[in-house]
Amino acid sequence: MRIVVLTKPVPDPASGAERLGPDGRLDRAASPAVVNGNDEYVLEKALKLVAEAGEGEVILLSMAPASAPETMRKALAMGATRGILVTDPALEGSCTVATTRVLAAALKTLEFDLAFAGVDTSDGVAGVVPAGVAALAGLPYLSYAATIDPDMAARTVRVNRITATGFDVLQAPMPALISGTQALGEPRYPSLKGIMAARSKEISTIKMADLGIDPASVGTAGATTRVVDSHKPPPRAATRVIREPADEAARQVVAFLAERRLI
Amino acid sequence: MAAGIWVHGEVAGDGSLAKLSTEVATLARALAEASGEPVTGVVIGADPAGAAATLADYVPRVLAVAEPETAEHAAGTIVAQRLAALIAEHQPRMVMTGAGPEGRDLAGALSALTGWGVLANATAVRWDDGGPVATHNVFGGKLVTESALTGDHGIVTLRPNAVTAEAAPSKGKLETVAPAGSLDQPAVPIVERLEASGAAASIDDARIIVAGGRGVGGPDGFTLVQELADALGGAVGATRAAVDSGWIPYSQQIGQTGKIVKPALYLALGISGAIQHKVGMQTAESIVAVNRDADAPIADFADVFVVGDLFEVGRALLEQLRARSG
Amino acid sequence: MATVTAATREPGPYRLTEEHEMLRDAVRVLADERVAPRAAEIDRTAEFPQDLRKLLADHDILALPFPTEHGGLGGELLPVALAIEQLSRACATTGLILAVQELGSLPILLAGSSEQQKRWFPSLASGERLIAFALTEAEAGSDVAAARTTANADGDDYVIHGSKRFISHGSIADLITVFAVTDPDAPRHRRLSAFVVEVPTAGFAVTRLEHKMGIRGSPTAELAFDGVRVPQANRLGAEGDGFEIAMRTLDRSRPGIAAQAVGIAQGALEVATAYARERRQFGQRIGELQMVGAMLADMDAATEGARQLLYKACVEIDAGSPEANRWSAMCKLVAGDAAMRVTTDAVQVLGGYGYIDEFPVERMMRDAKITQLYEGTQQIQRLVIARSLLGKDG
Repeated sequence: MRIVVLTKPVPDPASGAERLGPDGRLDRAASPAVVNGNDEYVLEKALKLVAEAGEGEVILLSMAPASAPETMRKALAMGATRGILVTDPALEGSCTVATTRVLAAALKTLEFDLAFAGVDTSDGVAGVVPAGVAALAGLPYLSYAATIDPDMAARTVRVNRITATGFDVLQAPMPALISGTQALGEPRYPSLKGIMAARSKEISTIKMADLGIDPASVGTAGATTRVVDSHKPPPRAATRVIREPADEAARQVVAFLAERRLI
Repeated sequence: MAAGIWVHGEVAGDGSLAKLSTEVATLARALAEASGEPVTGVVIGADPAGAAATLADYVPRVLAVAEPETAEHAAGTIVAQRLAALIAEHQPRMVMTGAGPEGRDLAGALSALTGWGVLANATAVRWDDGGPVATHNVFGGKLVTESALTGDHGIVTLRPNAVTAEAAPSKGKLETVAPAGSLDQPAVPIVERLEASGAAASIDDARIIVAGGRGVGGPDGFTLVQELADALGGAVGATRAAVDSGWIPYSQQIGQTGKIVKPALYLALGISGAIQHKVGMQTAESIVAVNRDADAPIADFADVFVVGDLFEVGRALLEQLRARSG
Repeated sequence: MATVTAATREPGPYRLTEEHEMLRDAVRVLADERVAPRAAEIDRTAEFPQDLRKLLADHDILALPFPTEHGGLGGELLPVALAIEQLSRACATTGLILAVQELGSLPILLAGSSEQQKRWFPSLASGERLIAFALTEAEAGSDVAAARTTANADGDDYVIHGSKRFISHGSIADLITVFAVTDPDAPRHRRLSAFVVEVPTAGFAVTRLEHKMGIRGSPTAELAFDGVRVPQANRLGAEGDGFEIAMRTLDRSRPGIAAQAVGIAQGALEVATAYARERRQFGQRIGELQMVGAMLADMDAATEGARQLLYKACVEIDAGSPEANRWSAMCKLVAGDAAMRVTTDAVQVLGGYGYIDEFPVERMMRDAKITQLYEGTQQIQRLVIARSLLGKDG
């Protein structure tokens, strides 16, 4: 069983240090990078599936700056087999269209049974890349997965897709691309063995030239969108902290609600 | 002539128009006014008539396309292909859709098929300098950015509850259009539909939401949450932790994989305020939180933060609210 | 004036690598969630936490000091120090479990044959077996060479007579690295040899368990060897190598104690800081009062200074520095004194509350003291450093 997991290094949301650079694009040097949260959930699922199958590999695929191997190590420490990095200075500042094109092209060079992606990333929160990659790669697309059940013998996969009222059960032949959600299950914390083993796992690089993509069509040069402004949101008034006993605290809350005409 | 703002009308499970689409349509109309561009709605589904008729309350012209494949297949890619073909024929300059799961799937596939850029997850859109300028909340709400298209065409996805839906002064015209183009992408069949249990008050447009998290401790704890919601005339919400533990149905989940809400009041009980939940409720007008942990992240963005036991404080609050209303 | 140019040789990383940070964070999570809640109880009952020993084993933490070919995670000093530091932040006794496992194993690592390593390391790395380091005697503390326990050759065996004092984990270990005199007539530093004794065995007894000021959950034992037989195959290195093995062991194990000290200091600093943020007197948070703020600042600087020296020492020792003994002694000296100072000041910041067991700082202060005593007192560390400065024959 071979599962490719699309992962993206994003600024660590817990660090609070994310910011934009002068060009309006994410300043990747400003804060430590971590694996995108949703990607960890689909990675965890991939690792579980391969473990259950008793054989196979989980391959990480990422379009990222050259410094990304450090971030990929954490995903390798969780147990992924190896990583593939598509990196090229020309890719800097890429929009979702370019990202989709590059990832689809990279995916086409690989053989796999399933490809997973997180539904969106914590930096851009666009949530459009997985569907686009599936379309460009001609893969069946199953999105917003709460569960993923492959049948290797029949070479099909079944997914419970989250809907407003419950779930739609989707089924497709392999290979297929699945975007997954947190409902798949808490990602494991890398074990010490996993952390130490990660350093010797292979991360290979693909250059854009290998994919036959014109550098002018990607990166800032080829971007289909651009940031025109950025500012801090209007500050919320300072939090009123109440440490009184329950009755007094409730009294103060009621006063606040009345003040804001909510009751 | 490349002109026109198109609004994709999402067809809900029961054949009606998704509420989000009425919000997108309202915004599209405002942009049409500002730009002078004509606005057209497009509904593509197995039985589009009902949804198309509703959309016609919001925009002057709606194209209804009957596409039987969407009845039993995942819709996003199918709709995207039909839409791409219509776009090739009619040449609008932009397409707007909701930023919920359906809209994102559509926007992603459509962007790949057309090469059009996406202004994604917008909380507002204005018309400026000949094109749309979208506002986004990034970095978990720490920063607001505005972005524009670099070319003439693009796709815009709009966050739920960012715009208040408002019907147009007069009803629009419905046109039935045959599906164009071909379906070359693999179609994914829906083999079964599972309904989530429980029929609770919808949180989508609730003015007041009382939500419970891990601190509530179990399904019994949610009785207090419901009682407070009743006393305040609101709906019950929950974090992923509470839903995963089976204490409350998924339909009430707020957050990254649940719903994004923008109520006038969000009362959070036993909720830490971690980012995955925060993104679902941080734009609520008033946020009151009760948590035993003084260092819970929610303390940073709540208007009022009570350090205490949620049951003690909750019961006291319930008592006082009931006393007030007589 | 000559221009100073930028680095003329390859700059090394002066930050923890991503791997080190992941490791540190993995242990930190464990320490916060599973160890910290047990710390007060361990101190109060003075019971060795077998549950936490198992936790460390299950999470491969006890595998850190061992070579990978024997089921370990490599044995680099910095990862071990990072783990001990994070554990000790929560509970000094628990941090010591890893430190002692490393200490007892180092003689085998440094002087054992590959057959011996293969024989013992796998079960030590898995945490299935514990090992202790028995060097100290009632009459041979700082003066290691004055040891009186003897090991007399008898056929294919040695027979050990004597006793050891203040042996950490002595009562719970399955293996004991024992240093005994094999040649009383040899020059002072060639009298001792090192053996691994597998217990229980005939003639071996735990004769005493100490009641201590701190690290109360860690059993400190007096061991009696009354005609304990140990096969030649259990001797480490050649006869007479014992003293050198012990010294080289301490060069590598002292950073572990420094890590424990840094962890204790950090834990105390965090409690004191949190308290200073919350506690209000004279209409403000006490942290804003200058005398308190100054204390906290000094505590932070002392802890950080000790930490950075520790990390540097680990890297230098692993790199084979010819000054390993200087690095090792220095990091332990600085960290031990920092821990004592920081914990004492932490009690001071908490005032009366610091003196009662409702807050953990009084325990941390009691725990800190040992880091100035074992694996060589601070005075011994100073001897080592002075000798290194002045030249060995100075």
